[in-house]
Amino acid sequence: MPKIAIVKFPGTNCDEDVKHVLVNVVGLEAEIVWYKEFSVNKWDAIILPGGFSYGDWLRAGAIAARTQAVDELVEARDRGVPVLGICNGFQILVEAGLLPGALLYNDVGRFVCKWIRTVVERPRGPWLALVRDGQVLDMPVAHAEGRYYVDEETYISTLLKSPVLKYLQGFNPNGSIHNVAGVGSEDGVVFGLMPHPERASEELLVPRGFSPGGRVIFESIAHSLKRGW
Amino acid sequence: MPLTQEEVEEIRKILGREPTVEELAMFEAQWSEHCSYKSSRLLLKLLPTEGMHVVVGPGRDAPAVRLFKDFAIVFKIESHNHPSAVDPYDGAATGIGGIVRDILTLGAKPVALLDMLYMGEPWDPHANWLIRGIVKGISDYGNRIGVPTVAGDTWFDYAFNTQPLVNVACVGIVPLNRLVLGSIRPGDYIIIMGNATGRDGLLGSSFASKPLAEDTDKEIGAVQVGDPLTEKLLIDALQILVSRRLVKYIKDLGGGGLTTAISETCADHGLGAAIELEKLHIRQKLTPLELLVSESQERMLVVVEPVKLSEVEEILRNYDVMYSVIGRFTEDGVIKVFCNGVKVAEVPAKELARPRAVRRVSHPPAEALKGLKPLYSLPPEPSYEEALTKLLSSPNIASKRWIYEQYDHEVGVRTVVKPGLGDAAVLRLLDGSSRGFAIKGDANPRYTSIDPFNGAANSVAECFRNLVAVGAKPIAIVDELNAGNPEKPEHFWYFEMMLKGLAWMAEELRLPVVGGKVSFYNEDHRGRQVKPTTTIVGVGRVKDVSRAVTMDLKESDSVIAVVGVTYPELGGSEYLYKVFGLEEGEIPRPRPASELRNAKLILKAVELGLVNAVHDISVGGFAVALAEMAILGNLGVEVDLDLVHARGVMRLDELLFSETQARYVVEVKSNRVEEFKRLAQRMGVRISLAGRVLDKPVLILLKGSKTILSADLGLLRDSYNSLEKAIEGGA
Repeated sequence: MPKIAIVKFPGTNCDEDVKHVLVNVVGLEAEIVWYKEFSVNKWDAIILPGGFSYGDWLRAGAIAARTQAVDELVEARDRGVPVLGICNGFQILVEAGLLPGALLYNDVGRFVCKWIRTVVERPRGPWLALVRDGQVLDMPVAHAEGRYYVDEETYISTLLKSPVLKYLQGFNPNGSIHNVAGVGSEDGVVFGLMPHPERASEELLVPRGFSPGGRVIFESIAHSLKRGW
Repeated sequence: MPLTQEEVEEIRKILGREPTVEELAMFEAQWSEHCSYKSSRLLLKLLPTEGMHVVVGPGRDAPAVRLFKDFAIVFKIESHNHPSAVDPYDGAATGIGGIVRDILTLGAKPVALLDMLYMGEPWDPHANWLIRGIVKGISDYGNRIGVPTVAGDTWFDYAFNTQPLVNVACVGIVPLNRLVLGSIRPGDYIIIMGNATGRDGLLGSSFASKPLAEDTDKEIGAVQVGDPLTEKLLIDALQILVSRRLVKYIKDLGGGGLTTAISETCADHGLGAAIELEKLHIRQKLTPLELLVSESQERMLVVVEPVKLSEVEEILRNYDVMYSVIGRFTEDGVIKVFCNGVKVAEVPAKELARPRAVRRVSHPPAEALKGLKPLYSLPPEPSYEEALTKLLSSPNIASKRWIYEQYDHEVGVRTVVKPGLGDAAVLRLLDGSSRGFAIKGDANPRYTSIDPFNGAANSVAECFRNLVAVGAKPIAIVDELNAGNPEKPEHFWYFEMMLKGLAWMAEELRLPVVGGKVSFYNEDHRGRQVKPTTTIVGVGRVKDVSRAVTMDLKESDSVIAVVGVTYPELGGSEYLYKVFGLEEGEIPRPRPASELRNAKLILKAVELGLVNAVHDISVGGFAVALAEMAILGNLGVEVDLDLVHARGVMRLDELLFSETQARYVVEVKSNRVEEFKRLAQRMGVRISLAGRVLDKPVLILLKGSKTILSADLGLLRDSYNSLEKAIEGGA
């Protein structure tokens, strides 16, 4: 049975939520691993969950990105082990240079927690294996530093060749450039996104008018780890 | 409040000698109103605190109530009014920190936060600054510790322009057999874990126990600064320590700091303690006196038996939690404090922890009469549409989206009914079952300022209704009484009446008041009390969270029913204030018998699946409740007012805007109307089948064949969503 590590830093707070979905909703094996005890060897996939690692001191994700645990992530990437960063996890991946761009303070100037709608472009890799191109995924966001920024050159040279998640028109909660909500490495093995798929994996938690769009991401990794991608 | 001459005399008697400066500071902290309840303790005995579900009643840092046979809920309320007036951001943030730690003391996992904010008018520049700071403080702290802020209550009122009321509550859940109830023995170790002690919040509880000075900036040193990351580490570390049964007892270092934590723990267990102050981990060099009364945040006291000490230390080190072992409990009932081998204090724990209660003088002021004044000659009725628009855009009624979107209300994946859609939040336990609970906080400062007895009773009733409206069975409440200066008889009267109203209604609705808090000295620098306010937070049991009901209308052609009877009760209403500028008159009567009867009908109807939506009628009355349901559901509605049961109503505005208690608006499924009718008949509940849901976006009120109001839903929605503009475009 493939096993997934959920890496917890001081201040991480969505670790149990992700574990709940992996174990109870899609039936995978998963463990929460304290950052000091994390090494890449034992795991088939790695998730950096949301929260406020190191209290968002300096910048969101900046301090966690400089821990030993992230050196392990670089090795994971080099070995082709799937890595997913959600919210603060995405911020850490960007800070660590594992994904392009930067995440700035929301243009509204405050934390935003609400349901939004996204669309997937160029789905590829283990995290989006079951997603169609152009598929709409509903999920909630909850962040203060989620305004994605990348220079135009990188956007054209990199993002346009990679799997990207975009806020649908009218749902961009933070002023992200090109409506970017998430971005992957070109092969999609490393993927990061600001919305919370683990909060959108069960019908019970979905407000009227939306659907549980996060679940397919976890189903994708379950599928990929069994059958490849 | 500094110690009075009589109190110093009493301390001399207790010690049989002159107290040291350290001892005096310890007494000042512990005997402050904030820590000792000396002015309120005698009256608090009126509250009904017992009940079949109560596991831990008042007395500990937080109470526990049996939610299901194997699960307890731990919940508590706290005020941070004074600090928030001086430094809104840190004041509100540390309020969250404190209430979460109270929940941790019983070994529970904190799963929900609530904020009950009674603030100034958004268009007043100072009040606007306070509003933004308070909400951001709660947002930054609550979000960072990973506990969702799921519900609350707000009121915007000129009376709070300089002194707001910031009441916060936290809910924890714990399997009954994991509750940390504690039995400390002499020789057990005292560990202080968390933040290093610094010079912040020195004698903060004493600062909160007197009126704000004119120049509050000078008191900034009494306000603590929060560190949510450390709080999060405390939460996580305690979950581990509790699950491995490594700690015997847990206590928060809150108001009164180390002094209060140690004296109360000792007094509760008939023990003493020997403390070595130099062992405490510190941020800066402090004198023994400062170490004893510092209110640095994010610190907790845990009691560990000797054989488990090394295991506890290893866990704390691994999880990056600072700690120090500062002493042990002793048999003699005396607290001895040493610093580098020198004894700086020696006081008997019981006498320190429990100052003599005071019965304060209580007298109604002349303005209390305005609550007895019948309203019989109101100005002519305005345009109903204009009045409704005005009410929907009133900050007291408008959508609180600007606030709750700044809070992570979903972390924990438990929040089934989210803010803005239900009368209360509904969370699942996430234990594999479909069980859960509902939670809500309520107050109406206008009611309690006009008629404190009935106003407080109505707070209890509104909380009760809000829980019922989502399909939850209310099981217990906690209260926060925000009052003026207890040394002024005309302020103390309000406190006394609020307390009596609360006690009466809680008894009538069979809701034990399992815990609470009193906040005095809420007056401005001119000595005027802010509106005295009774805040109630209630918990309800939900057997199946998937059946929880929200207030948004769901489908056209379903039927609108009004449950309960409407009386001409415009006194103290939002309508009277917004439209005529009046804050007076008899406020709506509390109606406990109707509340119980009508709640039973709602709960049964929800259980049988007869209804699509339920909304309690409160501020703004029937018209506002109906408009909210239509706006949120994005479906129109048509109601014939002639069909709504009312008694003694002379004018239509009385029917539309009276805030008569014990009423609900219900959307009944079109194919279940007969069943609903029969059910109501059988239960002896007055219902009015008064209208239906439309598939076009319009709100229509008829009187027989005459249309008296026909409003476009889009325009009503704009009014309802205007709070953001009032605040962001405000100052």
